[in-house]
Amino acid sequence: MGKTESSGQTVVVADAGPLIHLDELGAIDVLADFTRVLVPVTVWDEVNRHRPDALRLPFLEKLDAPPPGHELHAIGRLYTLHHGEWQALALCAQFPGSRLLTDDTAARLAAKALNIAASGTIGILLRAMRCGRHDKTQTLALLKAIPAQSSLHIRASLLEQIIAEVSAQ
Amino acid sequence: MGKTIQAELPERLMEDAQALVDNGWAGSVNELLAEALRRYLESHRDDLAERFIRDDVEWGLRGQD
Repeated sequence: MGKTESSGQTVVVADAGPLIHLDELGAIDVLADFTRVLVPVTVWDEVNRHRPDALRLPFLEKLDAPPPGHELHAIGRLYTLHHGEWQALALCAQFPGSRLLTDDTAARLAAKALNIAASGTIGILLRAMRCGRHDKTQTLALLKAIPAQSSLHIRASLLEQIIAEVSAQ
Repeated sequence: MGKTIQAELPERLMEDAQALVDNGWAGSVNELLAEALRRYLESHRDDLAERFIRDDVEWGLRGQD
């Protein structure tokens, strides 16, 4: 499976949520469009316990995270982050310009405070359409499958709005 | 007037909570649990989750990377 022609030079660090949700949707391949997909050890172990199939693709890189710096330590405690989220943010700090992939609101707040870009499962699915990996029909099918096929929580009316916006593209 | 609840918590968590109280960093375990829950709820609000998903849509459809 090759990278699509419009893929950027983006290093991403994955938290457990997007790995699990994308695999539940049968769409883990969309991560292949990133330059590197780094998975902190704690996140890897967590996904391996709950959804080992999500780790089957060879481009996922299991990495040790550095100890959190003072700023991350304070922010992580403030937002009561889990260990995997701490590690993911520590890896983002180690790779300047990288993007955190997470569906956790507190982790996204922490990323914002640390000036780290972050995106969730829905953003990744829509990016795959922008990059040409999936067409609009495939993307709409994946979005519509979210409530029944994945454990990603999203208000039904918000999902309908997103589906309408994608349909209008 | 607070509401009384019954919850089962990991022993280690309760020991850490009690240590904070014993060292004067919290008035009581009740206060500490309420503060922890308040902080959790503040950082997991519905409107925040929705805003982040809308950011996702913008990046996913019109981002540069």
